[in-house]
Amino acid sequence: MIGAVDEHEALRAELREWIRSNHPGDPGWKLPQSALEVAEDRQFDWLRDWQRRLYDAGWVGAEWPSEFGGGGRPRGTQRVIDQELARGRAPFLLNLVGLSWAGPVILRYGTESQKKRLIRPLLRCDEIWCQGFSEPGAGSDLASLRTRATRAGADWAIEGHKVWTTLGRYADWCILLARTDDAGAKHAGISYFLAPMKLPGVEVQPLVKMTGEGGFNQVIWSGARIPGDSLLGREGQGWEIAMATLSFERGASEGSAGGQGGGAEQVAALVRLLRGLERDGGAVLSDPVVRDRLSAFWIDETALRANAARARVPALVSDRPEALPLMSKLASSEQGQALSDFACELLGGDAGLWIGDPHVPANAEWQRSYLNSFAMTIAGGTSEILRNILGERALGLPKTR
Amino acid sequence: MNPAVRCDEEHALLRTEARRWLDERFPIARVRALAESDSGEDAADWQELAALGWLGLCVPEKHGGAGLGAVHLAVLLEETGRRLLPCPLLSSTLAALVLVQSGSEEQRARWLPPLVSGESRFALATEPRHVWGAALADRLVARVGEDFAVLDARATGVEPEVVLDRTRRAGRLGRVSAGPGEKLPASAGEALARLTPWACLALAAEMAGGADALLTLTSAYTATREQFGKPIGSFQAVKHPLVNVLIGVEGLRSLVYAAATALDAGDPDAETLARMAKAKACDVYVFAASRAVQLHGGFGFTLDCDAHLYLKRAQTTRPTFGDAMHQRRWLAEKLLGPAP
Repeated sequence: MIGAVDEHEALRAELREWIRSNHPGDPGWKLPQSALEVAEDRQFDWLRDWQRRLYDAGWVGAEWPSEFGGGGRPRGTQRVIDQELARGRAPFLLNLVGLSWAGPVILRYGTESQKKRLIRPLLRCDEIWCQGFSEPGAGSDLASLRTRATRAGADWAIEGHKVWTTLGRYADWCILLARTDDAGAKHAGISYFLAPMKLPGVEVQPLVKMTGEGGFNQVIWSGARIPGDSLLGREGQGWEIAMATLSFERGASEGSAGGQGGGAEQVAALVRLLRGLERDGGAVLSDPVVRDRLSAFWIDETALRANAARARVPALVSDRPEALPLMSKLASSEQGQALSDFACELLGGDAGLWIGDPHVPANAEWQRSYLNSFAMTIAGGTSEILRNILGERALGLPKTR
Repeated sequence: MNPAVRCDEEHALLRTEARRWLDERFPIARVRALAESDSGEDAADWQELAALGWLGLCVPEKHGGAGLGAVHLAVLLEETGRRLLPCPLLSSTLAALVLVQSGSEEQRARWLPPLVSGESRFALATEPRHVWGAALADRLVARVGEDFAVLDARATGVEPEVVLDRTRRAGRLGRVSAGPGEKLPASAGEALARLTPWACLALAAEMAGGADALLTLTSAYTATREQFGKPIGSFQAVKHPLVNVLIGVEGLRSLVYAAATALDAGDPDAETLARMAKAKACDVYVFAASRAVQLHGGFGFTLDCDAHLYLKRAQTTRPTFGDAMHQRRWLAEKLLGPAP
């Protein structure tokens, strides 16, 4: 496909060779499907080692400035690296929040000393990041958050309750939204902190997902004192930086240090599962209805990839420049959900088996994948909120509220 | 697959030029007037298309054409689709492509220059029915049994069909037979195999333009039409289906330009991408049109609302060179191997 029109052939070849010699293989126990489900120490250690090896080989943060620990390579490099890692079925990168949203906003809004202190350990997985945005009473209406930061001498004292905190248990740092001012509009009184987590007054409590997996937490801040220089940007600039963060989280802004090649070749993975399976007395893959549905998924998967390629061509996005960036997470998460649901349907009664049963297909990978897919249609702006945003920004429709 | 997408300054220039010209020449009132007329078109428009060089867009320069590729074609047809161009440019373009791809050198030299100049009008007839632009064509590039041939249109007993989409007229042929001098050297199978990826791309591009125009039309209407004291576009029950149309249209445009880029690069996956684009186009265009009628409410159901013009165009373009189910069956063979 890339053949005649790819200027990154040499890079791809080099990385493919590297993956061949360095792929860590199967650890022999259950790996989580993404950074959102890391709940056991052995999973954490194994994945941290993998990210370190990738970083040390130059495959993480390839485009980030070299003075802070990045590779300083040209724009477009990381995308090729991520594609090849996905194609080579390499394990995912553990430090998701750091690589893909904390890091990029630190590079954009941070001081020199913040960048010097934080970027390299983030890339190398020496320090883990989590995100403190949502609260029990502030989900889609994020600006109604109530966590408070008050000056306490040279420090800030943090009081509040954050939820859905991926990697919270392991995190050294948190990108934390807190209210620093009650006067004026609710968006205006929010500030953005790079908060250390390993402190007295920070309690991380695990939450259990519907898959039975952990990896998800709530964090109670009870007067924890974080240093005065933890503020990112200016006091009261938090909402702007939060929106920039969400734009990275939704794939609307480019700048991730790696791990964003996902959703890759899911149709091919499903086809591998289905080879040899039977349905109604014949091969599943001979069923014309199944074939039609698989084709439709293949078209949609290819359209997403073509969207990513077209998004980089200014002449082809000028009519609605906001559409492709804003729809990226929405479209890919809904497609992933539909595909894994279809996989479960085709597994028939075996889709009702779970990890631990001797006959469970593929260690319940597709069942987990379907259940976990709701994380993606909810996190970082629900599909419903994203449809509002797209309607308003890409189509010019009036605001819903 | 990691599809590549190319579109540079030169392509963007064609888009700007085409959009400006089509906006001026074909305001919707004129498209409607032509749709009401007997022949469905104005001969002067064809001469203008020739003068713009659009009849020969993909014809080599040595035969009088512009010698441009698939991305240019996609750009142009997306714009003509947006305006429901009431001229059989697509049929003529596909006829030209058959001559370029499968004609003899002598046939190309004889037929392409008058096709490009507008002096002789060509239409493509892959079957004897639903031949776009047949009634006013001078020549047909027609399938005759296992061959393709260049026929004198008048000798085939063309009769106009009564059509749903009056912005795109079609005819049926009576007698179709070809003398030895009229046949192309390639068999019908070979010629169609070469043409199909280009035809799928061309149709998908035109359909993408139509679907995109519907999105603009319906967004503008729902942003201003008020009920319950608010513009209806502020209601999520209206906004969210329109965003679903948007997601479809954006994906379709990406597949169209990925297919065009692959065709220009001689990429072996070009046909796969072109058929994906056509499959997507069928679903997206009809969906966009159905939402347009529905979200215009009672007005949407009337002849006065423009939505039905596109709905009819979408429905009648869908089967040409294979509907979505047909394309998906072909794609399934590519993905999974032969069907049992």
